[in-house]
Amino acid sequence: MFILGMDTATSQVGVAIGDSADGGGVLAEVLIAGDRRHAEQLAPAIQHVCDESGVRLDQLGAIAVGIGPGLFTGLRVGVTTAKVMAQALGIPVVSASSLDLIAAPPALLEEGHAHALVVPVIDARRREVFSARYRVVPGGVQREGDYTVGSVEDLIADLQAGSEHVLLAGDGVTRYREQFAGLDRSEMAGPEFEYPSVAALVQLAAGRVEREEFVQPWDVHPMYLRESDAELHWETPR
Amino acid sequence: MVAEAILAIETSCDETAAAVVAHGTEILSSVVSSQVDLHARFGGVVPEIASRAHVELIGPVIADALGDAGVELRDLTAIAATSGPGLAGALLVGVSAAKALALVADLPYVGVNHLEAHCYAAWLEQPNLEPPLAVLVASGGHTLVVIFEGHANMRVVGQTVDDAAGEAFDKVARHLGLGYPGGPLIDRLARDGDPAAIAFPRAMPGEPDFSFSGLKTAVVQHRRRDPDGAIADVAASFQEAVVDQLVDKLVRAADEAGASTLVLGGGVAANSRLRARVAEVAEATGRAAFLPPPDLCTDNAAMIAATAWWRLQSDGPTPLDAGVNPSLSIT
Ligand SMILES: [Zn+2]
Repeated sequence: MFILGMDTATSQVGVAIGDSADGGGVLAEVLIAGDRRHAEQLAPAIQHVCDESGVRLDQLGAIAVGIGPGLFTGLRVGVTTAKVMAQALGIPVVSASSLDLIAAPPALLEEGHAHALVVPVIDARRREVFSARYRVVPGGVQREGDYTVGSVEDLIADLQAGSEHVLLAGDGVTRYREQFAGLDRSEMAGPEFEYPSVAALVQLAAGRVEREEFVQPWDVHPMYLRESDAELHWETPR
Repeated sequence: MVAEAILAIETSCDETAAAVVAHGTEILSSVVSSQVDLHARFGGVVPEIASRAHVELIGPVIADALGDAGVELRDLTAIAATSGPGLAGALLVGVSAAKALALVADLPYVGVNHLEAHCYAAWLEQPNLEPPLAVLVASGGHTLVVIFEGHANMRVVGQTVDDAAGEAFDKVARHLGLGYPGGPLIDRLARDGDPAAIAFPRAMPGEPDFSFSGLKTAVVQHRRRDPDGAIADVAASFQEAVVDQLVDKLVRAADEAGASTLVLGGGVAANSRLRARVAEVAEATGRAAFLPPPDLCTDNAAMIAATAWWRLQSDGPTPLDAGVNPSLSIT
C-alpha cells in the first residue's frame, strides 16, 4: 500500500511517498527548507513526489501528516491538505507529532554517542520552544512525558538538573545554539536533523496502518499546545 | 454528469463556506458555517480563533456542499478558493483545501479575489445585468465602490481611508452596549429612533473616498455631552450618516462612469435603511437598483464560484504554486 506523508509544522515543507509493503521505504521525497511558503510549495511538492515515484493519488492507501506542534499557519497548511485529500480519496490518516518526527530517524542515534535521552526542540517564537523527551531504548526511542511549550531557559534548566546525556535536535536548538551550548552532558545533532523527517513519518505510518492505528480525516486536529486566547491579535479583517 | 460546475471555498474571515455553482449562475448548493458565536465575546473577529475553526469546519462544509448539490468531485470543472484579501491564516486553510481537491480530482485550481466576488454576487441572481454597473461593497472588512465594466474588467473608484463601514457599526454598537455583530442590532434599534435627531458629520464630501473613524468619535463625544439622550435616536442618526455617505459615493461614481445600474454587496448591504435609500435614489435618478438577497451579500462561496467561472475563461487556471494575498486589491 502506498502512503503519502507530509509535514509543514516548521519552516520546512517536507513530502514523501512510500510503500508499506516495503516497510515504509521511501520512493520519492521533497524537502524545501527555510522559505515558510508552505501554501505555495506543498501542492507542487506533492505533484513532484507522485511524478517521481509513478504513484497516482488514487492509488494511496493512507495519508500521514505531522500535526505539530510548530508554526500555526504552516501547520494548518499540511493538516488541511492531508485531511481534505484523505476525505476526498476516502482513505484514513495517520497523524504524528512533529516532535516525534525529529526524534525518530534511526540515523540520529547512530550519529550520537551514549545518549540516554533525545530532546527535539522546535522554535515556538517569543523566546519559547516546543519540546518533548525521548528515552533511548533498544531499536529506537520512546517518549517520556508530555509535549510541552516553555521558555528556552526553563528547558535548559530542567535538562541541566538531570544527570543524563542528552542529544538535542531541531530548529529550536539552531535558533538558541549559544544557550544550549552551555548545557552539560549534551550534544547537538547535525543540520540534517533540524526538521521533522517525512521519511520517518512514512515509515512510522506503514507500521500503524498495518496495526490499523489510524483515524478518519475529520478526527485529525493540529497540536497547538498554546491556547488561541494567548494569540489574540486585535487585527482588522480585510 | 453536471455540466460545467465549479466547487468554491471561502475562508477569508469568519465564515467557512463552500458552494457548487453551474455556469457561473446556477447555485446547486451553498453552505455557510458561521463562527459568529466564537468571536462574539471578543466583540470582533479574532484571526487565530477563525483560522483554527476553519481547519475543523472545512471538511464537513465541503462534504455538505457536494452532497447538497448531488455531485461528485469528478463531475466538476474546477475547484476555486478565495486567495485574498482577508486574514492570512484563514485564507491559507481554504486555499490549501482547494488545492488538495484539485490534486485529487486532477482539476484546475482558481484563486479568486474576494472583492471581485462581492461584485459577482449580483450576477448569480441577475445574469442579464447591463454593464457598466456601479457596485458598492461594504462589510466589516471593506468599503469600496467598484465600476464593473465587464467580466474580469473592474476598477475601484473609491474606498475607505480608515475604518470599514461594518467596522463602524460594530464599534458604535459596542459603545452603545448593544453587542456583536453591530450591524443588525443598530439596524433594528434605529427603527425606533429619529434619523434627524443628531447631526453627525458626513465625511469627505465631494470626494470619491470614504471615512468612518471621525463619525465613531463624534458618536462617542455626543454620548459624553448627552449621556441620557435616547439611544435609538443615536443609532438612527449614526446609521443615517453612514448610509448618506455610502449612497452619496455610489451615486457619484455611477454619474462619472455613466452606469445605469446600482448594485450592493457585502454584509452592510443587508442593512434595511441602506437598501431602502439605494432603491429610492435609483428611482429618483432613473436607474435600476439591484440588491442581492442578504445571504448573497454576506460572505458566501457561491459568489466565489461565479467569479471563478468567469476568471477561468478570461485568465485560465491559477498555478498550484500561487499563495494567498491578504491585501489583494482589484486591479
Ligand atoms: Zn466579504
